[in-house]
Amino acid sequence: MPAAEATSQTQSEPGASSVRYEGATKRYGDSAKPAVDGLTLEVPAGEICVLVGPSGCGKTTAMRLVNRTVDLTEGDILVGGESVRDREPARLRREIGYVIQQIGLFPHRTIAENIGAVPQLLGWKKERTAARTAELLTLIGLDPELGARYPAQLSGGQQQRVGVARALAADPLVMLMDEPFGAIDPINRERLQNEFLRLQAQVRKTVLFVTHDIDEAIKMGDRIAVMREGGKVAQYATPAEILMSPADEFVEDFVGADRALKRLALMRVSDIDLWEAPLAHVGQATAEVRAKLAAPDVEVAYPLLVDSERRPLGWLSARDLAAETVPARPDSPLGPVIERDDVMRDALADLLQGAAQYAPVVDAAGRIAGVLSVEIISEFLGSSRAKQEERSAVERPHD
Amino acid sequence: MTDPSLVAAVGEVGEGFFKERSSDTLPCQATDALFCWDWARENIDRYGTPTVQHLELVVISVVLGFAVAFALALLAHRRRWLQPPLLAATGVLYTIPSIAFFFLLLPVTGRGRDTAIIALSAYTLQIIYRNTVIGLANVPSSVKEAARGMGLTERQILWKVEVPLARPEIFAGLQIATVSTVAIATLAVFAGGGGLGAPIKAAINFKTNIIIAGSIAILMAVAFGLALVTAQRLLTPWKRAETT
Amino acid sequence: MIGALLSSPALASIGGAIEFIFAPQDSSVTGGRQVGGFDQVVELTLSQLELTLLALGLSLLVALPLGLYLGHRGTGELFAVVLGNVGRAIPELALIAFMAAAIGVGVLNLTIALAVLGVPPILANTFVGIHQVDRATVDAARGMGMTEFEILRKVEIPLAVPTLFAGVRGATIAIVATATIAPLAGVESLGDFILGENVYGSNGVLAGAIVVALLALTLEFAFAGLQRLLTSPGLKLRSA
Repeated sequence: MPAAEATSQTQSEPGASSVRYEGATKRYGDSAKPAVDGLTLEVPAGEICVLVGPSGCGKTTAMRLVNRTVDLTEGDILVGGESVRDREPARLRREIGYVIQQIGLFPHRTIAENIGAVPQLLGWKKERTAARTAELLTLIGLDPELGARYPAQLSGGQQQRVGVARALAADPLVMLMDEPFGAIDPINRERLQNEFLRLQAQVRKTVLFVTHDIDEAIKMGDRIAVMREGGKVAQYATPAEILMSPADEFVEDFVGADRALKRLALMRVSDIDLWEAPLAHVGQATAEVRAKLAAPDVEVAYPLLVDSERRPLGWLSARDLAAETVPARPDSPLGPVIERDDVMRDALADLLQGAAQYAPVVDAAGRIAGVLSVEIISEFLGSSRAKQEERSAVERPHD
Repeated sequence: MTDPSLVAAVGEVGEGFFKERSSDTLPCQATDALFCWDWARENIDRYGTPTVQHLELVVISVVLGFAVAFALALLAHRRRWLQPPLLAATGVLYTIPSIAFFFLLLPVTGRGRDTAIIALSAYTLQIIYRNTVIGLANVPSSVKEAARGMGLTERQILWKVEVPLARPEIFAGLQIATVSTVAIATLAVFAGGGGLGAPIKAAINFKTNIIIAGSIAILMAVAFGLALVTAQRLLTPWKRAETT
Repeated sequence: MIGALLSSPALASIGGAIEFIFAPQDSSVTGGRQVGGFDQVVELTLSQLELTLLALGLSLLVALPLGLYLGHRGTGELFAVVLGNVGRAIPELALIAFMAAAIGVGVLNLTIALAVLGVPPILANTFVGIHQVDRATVDAARGMGMTEFEILRKVEIPLAVPTLFAGVRGATIAIVATATIAPLAGVESLGDFILGENVYGSNGVLAGAIVVALLALTLEFAFAGLQRLLTSPGLKLRSA
């Protein structure tokens, strides 16, 4: 039954279980008010369900009921159809990935040993663990050589990524994540969120994600459970539905007055048809570049300098083009660079922040994919296609 | 039992202690009771001098040890390269059993109270030194930065900011050192330094005697400990006292 | 004082002590029988070492499991700390003398008395070391599916090694120091030399003191080395 015994593939295999809360209640001591009150909801396999709410609403407790780091007072929770009450806690937890805010890496073990902790508990063979560790390090964007280092030698962002890798190591059925990106600066947090979503597109785990940040919830969640004090669910729906039809005043207040703006988080830059800028390489004859600029169908009036890997380096000005060949250092700096997987909201924020007219858009490998501007975004939002996308987002989760 | 001549040596001193009042045997000893209240009541004043000696030993040793250790810690605070060797040196002095230390010093300083004091001070060095260094190191750099920005000189920062903030650790070290010294000073008699070890050694089989002398020592240690903890709390009002 | 140190009498004493360690000497008291020499020194050293290790073992047996259990559970902090403080206050001479007078002399009784000295530092330090392990690390360990015992063994103990060893080393120092006066309780040790000036002469006394100091330092080095061996490199990096 445990999917952990299956082969260590990360794609396509259904290595995920649904999670169903059935009247789950947690009471501490004699207090009349429960921390979690009769929680009933189902998280379909392979989806990210975000538990969001103000401090003290019981979202973390609700998450911890699943792997029994907190035990149920009443009710039940079914993971893959099996009650958690019937499982021995330690064994149950080995099938559930667990990521906490302070990460909790073992300082006395190497990164590789940290990642291999659960496989070791499950008795995997050394070669299998080593292969899996290398695979995961690459997956989270770290040099496999870092496996031999110790946590103290890594930056905060790197440690956080290792924490996620450690939770994924034994190919768990469910992942529990408690404010995993909370302690990171906003720039890196955005990056880590995008990376995790890219990962999730490949591995398709069932994830219970706790956060107090509604923006993060909208960005990350396939479904969101907005919780209020006393451990009750105010609304459980897709992000689009919560934004467009909040169930009551509490949800409306919690989402915030800029609801309309937040809807920009439902769409991604990859949904838009981007414009193209003429590309230039270092050392290229400027005559060629000027010719491209003069072409009739050019969309962007400035050439973009890229390296041999088609990664953007900067914008070329008229002065740059006055020389014989394209210089190595462009006149204008690059400005904000937008990832194709970014949500529209973050992209717009970056554009406005950088006060740039155009911003290069890159793919996951950093290569140029097109150019974005505020004009392009507003054109897109007004189009009928955008409205169609929004409507369908109400039903289906993120893709 | 060990060499009979050794027992004889001990017995000699014993006679001296009890010579004045009793004749040959101590009446209470014969009954093999655990504690003879009568004898205790009658003879409690005998312990006056040893107790005072003991107090002197402890206070002088700790003050001396503190002065040296604190100075060393201040020295090493700015010059980090000094820290490992000083830690090692004080560590060696801490590891050598005091009684061995007494007799190592003997050829140089002779028998007497001075030898005992030197050895007892040496024992306190490491704990006070290490706690002071750690206490100073634990002062948040942000506080020092702020002080520097306000225009305080390095000297002023040390005395007005770092040392006060390091007080909890320093006091903890002082407390541990003092309590330990009270206990170890019972051995000072072997160096000819007197103290509460003297009556114990003098009548080493007499339970009542041992109980009285030992209890005074323990009470003294506890009293010092409490006094220092209280002083620490009074002098660091900004911090709830932490257990050592 | 440096002058006194370098003057002939002091140096001569050391010379005499070293002679004592290696070659038997004539003694005025025992009338003809020789004292000192390598064999006797080794014999008494081993006796003291044996006593120390026995007492240390007993202390560990009692204090270590209790400290690990309480530290992991997080209960009994007051008890452990107070015991640590009280243990420091026990006057060794009184302890040995009382034990000898009340219960009787002999290796077994003395070992128990020495263990009484060794238990408080080990218990207090073990408790503090385990209890002070970062809660997030323990939470992560529990959440990933380690049993309580596995958490203790794989996470808490390795991270508490420095503090644990501090306790053991402290106990060792106290035990070695008190084992030196074992003769007062009828057990052989290097204290025989130190306390027996009549028999062994001033050379013997100094020799005894030197050997005791060396014994204590050797044990300390051994434990320090063991600690370094058992401390994870990751920990050393963190404190650097």
